[in-house]
Amino acid sequence: MSTEAVVELTGVTKTFPGVVALNKVDFCVRYNEILGLVGENGAGKSTLMKILIGLYRPDAGQIRIRGQLTTLKDPESAGRNGIGMVFQEGCMIPNLTVCENLFLSHEDGFMRHGLLQHKMIRSAAREVLARVGVTFDPDTVVQTLTPGEQQMVEIARLLWLSSLYEIANPVLILDEPTTVLLEDETKRLFEILQEIKQHASVIFISHRLEEIVENTDRIVVFKDGEYVTQLDPRQAEITEIEKLMVGKELTLDHFWVSEQGEPETDQPEVLGVNGLHLKGKFEPISFSIRRGEIVSLVGLVGSGKEEICECLTGTVKATSGRVAVAGKELRLSSPGDAVDNGIGHIPKERRSAGLALDMSVMDNINLLVLRTLKKRGFIRRRLEKANALKWVTEARIKTPSIHTKSAHLSGGNQQKTIISKWLSSSVKVLILDHPTRGVDVGAKSEIYGRIRKLASSGMSLLIMCDTLEEDIGLCDRMIILKDGRVVRQVQCPPDQKPTPLDLIDAIV
Amino acid sequence: MQNPGSSTQSESTQSPVTLREPQSRGSVPLSLGRIYQVIGRSGVRGQILSLLIIVLLFALGTGGRYLAVGNIRTIIALASIPAIIAIGVHQVVVLGGLDLSVEGVIAICAVSVGLLTRNSMTQADIGLWIIPVVMIIGGCAGLVNGVLHTKLRIPSLMTTLGINWVFFGLAILISRGQSIRILDPRFQAVVSSRVWGFPTVALFALGVLAIVMLFQSRTRYGRYLYAVGGDELLAKQGGVKTDRVKILVFVMAGVIYGIAALLLVARLNSSAARIGDNLLFPAMTAVAVGGVALTGGIGGAKNALFGALIVSALNNGLVMMRVNPYTQYAVNGIVLICAVALTIDRKKLGFIK
Amino acid sequence: MHAIPKTINQTGKRVLARISTWPTIYFSIGLLVVFVVLFTRGSRGFLSPYNLSSILGSASILFAVGAGVTWAIATGGIDLSIGGLMSLVSVIFIVTVGTIGYWAFLLCVLVGIIGGFTNGLILARVQIPSFIVTLGMGGIFTSMAYLISPRALSAPAHTFGILDLVNGSTMGVRNIYIIAVLVFIVFFVIQRFTVAGRNIFYMGSNIRMSWLSGINVVQSKQLAFMFSGVGASVAGVMLACRQYSGYPTIGNVYILTAIATVIIGGTAMTGGTGGVLNTLIGALIMSVLQNGMTVVGIDVYLQQTILGALVIAIVAISIDRKKLAVIK
Repeated sequence: MSTEAVVELTGVTKTFPGVVALNKVDFCVRYNEILGLVGENGAGKSTLMKILIGLYRPDAGQIRIRGQLTTLKDPESAGRNGIGMVFQEGCMIPNLTVCENLFLSHEDGFMRHGLLQHKMIRSAAREVLARVGVTFDPDTVVQTLTPGEQQMVEIARLLWLSSLYEIANPVLILDEPTTVLLEDETKRLFEILQEIKQHASVIFISHRLEEIVENTDRIVVFKDGEYVTQLDPRQAEITEIEKLMVGKELTLDHFWVSEQGEPETDQPEVLGVNGLHLKGKFEPISFSIRRGEIVSLVGLVGSGKEEICECLTGTVKATSGRVAVAGKELRLSSPGDAVDNGIGHIPKERRSAGLALDMSVMDNINLLVLRTLKKRGFIRRRLEKANALKWVTEARIKTPSIHTKSAHLSGGNQQKTIISKWLSSSVKVLILDHPTRGVDVGAKSEIYGRIRKLASSGMSLLIMCDTLEEDIGLCDRMIILKDGRVVRQVQCPPDQKPTPLDLIDAIV
Repeated sequence: MQNPGSSTQSESTQSPVTLREPQSRGSVPLSLGRIYQVIGRSGVRGQILSLLIIVLLFALGTGGRYLAVGNIRTIIALASIPAIIAIGVHQVVVLGGLDLSVEGVIAICAVSVGLLTRNSMTQADIGLWIIPVVMIIGGCAGLVNGVLHTKLRIPSLMTTLGINWVFFGLAILISRGQSIRILDPRFQAVVSSRVWGFPTVALFALGVLAIVMLFQSRTRYGRYLYAVGGDELLAKQGGVKTDRVKILVFVMAGVIYGIAALLLVARLNSSAARIGDNLLFPAMTAVAVGGVALTGGIGGAKNALFGALIVSALNNGLVMMRVNPYTQYAVNGIVLICAVALTIDRKKLGFIK
Repeated sequence: MHAIPKTINQTGKRVLARISTWPTIYFSIGLLVVFVVLFTRGSRGFLSPYNLSSILGSASILFAVGAGVTWAIATGGIDLSIGGLMSLVSVIFIVTVGTIGYWAFLLCVLVGIIGGFTNGLILARVQIPSFIVTLGMGGIFTSMAYLISPRALSAPAHTFGILDLVNGSTMGVRNIYIIAVLVFIVFFVIQRFTVAGRNIFYMGSNIRMSWLSGINVVQSKQLAFMFSGVGASVAGVMLACRQYSGYPTIGNVYILTAIATVIIGGTAMTGGTGGVLNTLIGALIMSVLQNGMTVVGIDVYLQQTILGALVIAIVAISIDRKKLAVIK
């Protein structure tokens, strides 16, 4: 292993409106190493990777590749510099075969007399696949492969591309590849990575610290958009890494903790979940939320928390189990059933699932309560405006007028619009799916305040947040999930909040 | 599954078998199983099966008259031009788009044929040069479609709808709304002739089929067509110039419509802007029945051809059974809806609009 | 969030993106004014009472069918079956008006409701794109019209009095305008003042959000296509009365002109915006354009070409490209 850097970033900064995603980061990848990159959600890992593959341009800082100062203006130029990424969700075209995907848009070498030579393609494909140790038929249609096999094909494509561009030591980025893999497949992946390492460098992103410690050559920790430190995995302890990832202190100032009430056990139970189960996603789970309580579901991708919410909102039908709101048992076969019975849901994908973008703020706020804004059977403009104005003022939505298209608002104000929509209808339970994603700092704090107010007004909230810190700061109680099972329930009363460090080992 | 290695190995033990097959094709004696295997891999198994069922039903219904050589010839001849049009349309559908400009482009091509060959209206006579000329005119019409669709980012449905009127209006304008008689006898002679008892027009259809199949399987852009149809964003990320692929497909469609227009004019020995009327509906039906998924990415030229054959066999059978000919539209409609209902990939579409 | 995506960097595209944020109805009204001024200058006869009455007459029919299709387009879909439905209704009307008199009007609207409902039922329950369902159903309607009568049927002379319900005048106002205004009022009230109407627009704007918010998406779709059927049937009756006849191809031209009317009015193909008021203006624009081009002496055959180009231009300007990551 050489200590020379193949990719070197110095002082790289990237800001998004209201957020510093990367702050003067120095980072390097050495020749022939497997680099483990760890950090919490929002630590800046994915921004960094997107800069490396040319999807984002840094606001400041330099990128040197093999000693050369380089600008990566798009994925294509990153590819020409031998940097490629295997995405979590996969980026192969499902209806094409393996060899078509392998050589997509680079078929020049396989043409004779202007025609593609399938024989040449097939034998080349077999050769390329053999390099990553897989031997399946290159004519297989990709969508019939397992996620693990698809990953192998993608890795093979990246390696082949770099040999095409005559890059001696390509850099492969693997973004949480093991979340979609079975245990044996994971083992196999690491075996292959060890071989690939002989002529390439690998950046390996994972939340599973055990595999990082066991399989990488160097560990780099990120926190809050900053490079924290690097560690030697042979000496590093998992607990030590956890500590570095989450930081020691918990800043609770902007979570409005002072307004969090004491846990009251005499409040009635609003949401009761009993033995809810979705086959293959999560094991039977039971919990309840009291009036005015904020409960947080915590877990990694694949822990089943997203699916639990989908079952509660009627988006997905649970295999078995009972859900009751205020003692009344529900039949949840569509989101309509959930809404009618007082379960509201603020989705993560704000623009695609939360707003009618080309309709006005007023229309968006009033969606759920239109039937109450009627007089003698007809919807009244005056009542509509009154309701919209009330919520715009109440939630401090910054908009030129209530007739502005919601598409023209900032992310934070869009989110406030969605929250207002649910509040104006009298839901009893509100599920908040990453309520502050893509929202700037100021608006974040306002949204936290709003959540607090909702709880004190008697609404029951189920939240899933971007960072552990947020979960701890906001919730009264925390349910930690891992691989579809509840591993721990933690109380978070205002005066004795647990620190992320207390929880992290339960989560990962 | 105990080990991914073992799973891939089990596949690799199978794969040599499938790989060796093409080489040993000649030595394997022709058997039903063998035929079934070939059909199974061709991607038109369902279509062949439904065609056989239709033929069987009508053969029984008409007491065998349906299977008379003359009638089979009629079906094939009738299916030929719709098949050519469907081959043009289906590539746009594979992209995930739609082409409603079929009738307009055919109108302008047909009128051009009428006015440029020896005819009852003008002095012009460019003879056989009309063949490349009409293909170029169709190609240009397709180019307009493709460029407007990709560069202005207007959905293909709207682009082609508007373009349909534009070309239809132009066609009527330059033909002054009249029907033009063709005075060059060669065209009709070729189209109505037979080669070894096989309608010549069907050979044209097979020719177009062969070229498009070659394009789809053996050229880069042919494969990109499927990449774009499968997932346009990923194809773009993978380095495919998606706009170019789309424009090319629209141009090809236009060229093919040009050929179809020429054949239509030759068959009637006269040309009018209205010649293209009611061609879109059967073409769309053929494409859907042939198993080309409206969601894009699935189905080739063969599918379009078989679709046209099925539609034509069905219509001809109904005529032979003395069903009121006006039910044809209804039958096509029902077949279209059912075919799409069976082939559409609802997961890919998410919410259906 | 940026109002204008960074990827759109060329000036022309930026201008398009900017214009697409304006309320489209102003654009449509502007277009109407421009055309009226243009044609008034081009020909003295354009504003004559006779010509105006002719413009408004054809605008009325165009509006009735367009107002229906507006609903289908507002869901983000399209209705290609209106031509067949109009033809079917015209034939049924002429066939039955001699025997059942005024009941024929009711019967025809009922046929429209059933036809539209069937469209909605298939596309919402079986989950097929509206384009295919309505194309196929259009074929079925046409077939039914042909089966009733392949030839053009004329209204019997003794029914002319009944046809006056459309052709006559009430207190100096032509009944055809009154019908159009009634259609407008009914649809406008549904769009503006009822939850069901609003839900159709929510659904067109963002179907996933609507579903997650508890709107019954299937029902809304069915309702929208039913309205489309009603519009087409009313227009079919109007057409049959004006021409004193019905035949199986009478509605064919209206498929495309009705869609053009809706688009020119400013209801976007992507759904959720616009409405019947837009279509009212769209119908006036179309009618003014068709009439005006004839009055100023543009070749009647060129008119279709101009309309086609206009539709593309309007879509290019009004389409919200942000909503569509991939344009198909």
